[in-house]
Amino acid sequence: MSKHKQVEIAVIGAGPGGYAAAFRASDLGKKVVLIDRDSSLGGVCLNRGCIPSKALLHISKVMDEAQALSKMGVTYNKPKVDLAAVREHKNRIVNQLSGGIAKMAKARKVETVEGVAEFKSNNELIVKTKDGLITVGFKKCIIASGSSSSMIPGILPNHPSILTSKTALDLIDVPKRLLVVGGGVIGLELGQVYSALGSAVSVVEFLPNLIPGADQDIIRPLHRKLKKQFEAIILSSKVLKIEAKDNNSLEVTIEGPAGESKEIYDKVLIAVGRKPNVELLKLENTDIRLDESGFINVDVYQRTSVKNIFAIGDIIGNPMLAHKATHEGKVAAEVASGVPSAMDARVIPSVVYTDPEVAWVGLTEVEAKKNEIDYEKGEFPWAASGRAIAVGASQGKTKILFDPETKKVLGVGIVGPSAGDIISEGALAIEMGADAVDVGLTVHPHPTLGETIGMAAEAFEGTITDLYVPKK
Amino acid sequence: MIKELILPNLGEGIEGAEVSEISVSIGDKVSLDDTVLVLESDKASMEIPAENEGIVKEILVSVGETVKTGQALLKIKHSDEKTDKKEPKEKPLETKTSQKSTELPLAAPTPTIESELQLSGSDTTNNVFASPGVRRLSRELGINLQVINGTGEKGRITKDDLNGYIKIQMLLSNRGVPKPEPEIDFSKWGNIERQKLTKIQRITGQRLQSAWQSIPHVTQFDEADITELSQYRKNLNEKNTKKKTKLTFLPFLMKAISKVLRERPVFNSSLDTQGENLIIKNYYNIGVAVDTPTGLVVPVVSGVDKKNIYELSEELIDISQRARNKKLKPKEMTGGTFTISSLGGVGGKFFTPIINPPEVAILGVSKSWWESVYDQKTKKQALKYIMPFSLSYDHRVIDGVAGAAFTKRFSNLLSDLSTFQEK
Repeated sequence: MSKHKQVEIAVIGAGPGGYAAAFRASDLGKKVVLIDRDSSLGGVCLNRGCIPSKALLHISKVMDEAQALSKMGVTYNKPKVDLAAVREHKNRIVNQLSGGIAKMAKARKVETVEGVAEFKSNNELIVKTKDGLITVGFKKCIIASGSSSSMIPGILPNHPSILTSKTALDLIDVPKRLLVVGGGVIGLELGQVYSALGSAVSVVEFLPNLIPGADQDIIRPLHRKLKKQFEAIILSSKVLKIEAKDNNSLEVTIEGPAGESKEIYDKVLIAVGRKPNVELLKLENTDIRLDESGFINVDVYQRTSVKNIFAIGDIIGNPMLAHKATHEGKVAAEVASGVPSAMDARVIPSVVYTDPEVAWVGLTEVEAKKNEIDYEKGEFPWAASGRAIAVGASQGKTKILFDPETKKVLGVGIVGPSAGDIISEGALAIEMGADAVDVGLTVHPHPTLGETIGMAAEAFEGTITDLYVPKK
Repeated sequence: MIKELILPNLGEGIEGAEVSEISVSIGDKVSLDDTVLVLESDKASMEIPAENEGIVKEILVSVGETVKTGQALLKIKHSDEKTDKKEPKEKPLETKTSQKSTELPLAAPTPTIESELQLSGSDTTNNVFASPGVRRLSRELGINLQVINGTGEKGRITKDDLNGYIKIQMLLSNRGVPKPEPEIDFSKWGNIERQKLTKIQRITGQRLQSAWQSIPHVTQFDEADITELSQYRKNLNEKNTKKKTKLTFLPFLMKAISKVLRERPVFNSSLDTQGENLIIKNYYNIGVAVDTPTGLVVPVVSGVDKKNIYELSEELIDISQRARNKKLKPKEMTGGTFTISSLGGVGGKFFTPIINPPEVAILGVSKSWWESVYDQKTKKQALKYIMPFSLSYDHRVIDGVAGAAFTKRFSNLLSDLSTFQEK
């Protein structure tokens, strides 16, 4: 016999969006149940995404910097990697954070249920747990079940040498030769980790650029660095076939502009995108509609076509970013709790946590050209920043796109260490409707990397003294 | 053959009216001129008659819906075609279930009132210049940012702008509408009944309140000696035995008023909306307040100065009858320049009528009495038939001297039979 629970708000998925939604709703006085199929709360981001990858990227970055010190008169011995200890370090961070979420859930009296949730109707869920079925009746439901790695159709999904972002982060071993399929954010971040740990990494990307969608001027410094670190960067190419060899190595057939070629890799990481986790939800038992790409459609209040069911995060579409999910989760929780709210954020920043980092927010030049949006640009090369030179980051760059009429900030793009930390000022500028003068006249501390945003605005205004800009 | 009943033209400037009652059901047999619908515009209620005999096949409108000229209201099937009885019975069921099936999935999730309320505010904030915090506040306050002019730096909408907007809204709403009083539960002191106001009553109430609050009223009381007029009226009625209906005092009052209005144009005027100009009207259309079962209506008799007593009398009888039967056309209730409210047939001495805007004055007539009056000329007491009346006027337009002069002149005209004897 199945157990039954009745709650005001049921949240499916305990990722950064789901737990934010659950906690916000609970703080607003609602009885909430938070359901996740994983025993460890925090979702992909915390368990097998943002956080573990950042833990590892930190290691690879420090290793790289230690090596770079040799140019500055300090030499270290060649590093030794104890993979088990690295894995342990990463797991400790994950467990610490996940445990923190569990504690916060407990403190808020948010009940957590481990199990797979599926809809029975517009008002009821069935949760398959280790101890049997539980039915959960709800007044409102927030779907935050996230996304998982897409596979290339027909390519050995269960072969031990085929990695996804999830298994790659398990750090089972360091393959001699690793092929990363997909030159996007996830592929490059993990490629850089494995490269630092000692793998010879190649990346293959279908499109002619790495991080397609971002402006190439801010990708170029990263590209240059990866060219040195990686064995090969193969662009405009696609993987036709992967064949397993006897020793568990893989023979990969790649078709590029110069024709087909075959290479043997020890492991292949598939990082070609993510797909929404909709199958297990049994949405057919509800009146929720999906869009053409299989995402759940929502309005600005995060409501699906069924007005008491909300959806947030990866499952409603791109960009699949934790910070977007968190904001949406809060909006959904607030609307579901009767608090006036809507997802009206103008922009959502994107960050690639490689070394150097790449970050952008708002309008990109690619987008502006595609949609014929007029813009003007202010740029500041980090080669003119004392701090950047001092930390060996003179390859970096900060640029701001402005509205030609109002001079308001439309978009910001940054490449260089800490780009992801600096970009927030750009997001704030856009949300507040700041213009070039506002940004330029804001006193930025010197010498910092964040200062480059003020400099880019001054360069646009023609008031900069750290560069010589010929008169317009 | 099925015929659609189309809403006829309701009169000039009247585009639509609200369905207040549907007098028939599907399957009902109707005869020519049977009332099938009752409509209420903001001026009057009207009965819509069937245009042919038959059976109501379909009702295309619902109570509360606003219908427009030319809109199909009902489908009526000629009764000579005896068709299957089933059909009309099935129809309502069908429409009910089909409505339900489309509503059910939506009804099940039940967007509660709370969730409907909270979703006010701007849906699109992309083209407004306001910080995220101000955007959030606007949702909490239910203010659409698109209507706010930002006063901040470079036109940014600030929290102060939202506060200012609320203050203005409160001022505006306080002007016309009183603060809502807490609902009192009268049933705790005894048995009560709840009676719904008719649409006419509700609208009249709002208009009276707004007139009372926005116009500085002054009411001047006076009396008229109508002894001779009373006798004159009696004689006329005795002479004219041919006429079915007898003359009342009202046509005489209208006639006399039209003369005073002619002499004192300011009483036949309106203030423009800016309150800067007075619009003097060179026509004399007098509204007459008529009590009907659904409320007070004011049909207008136009060109009073050009009509004789009998014409006025006939017209009055016609419109007041039609007013009681809800057969007035909306255009018969517009264009008045002055209003008379007579309680002469009921009783009471003086009362203070409320001006019917955009008019600037109204005459209230009470029940006449016999009184012994000392006549200075004859040095004798004499019995006189005295009519008490009140004149309320808009003090922005009319001053006290003019008001008193008006009532005196009106009084004199009523005492002088020559007022009614020309032409």
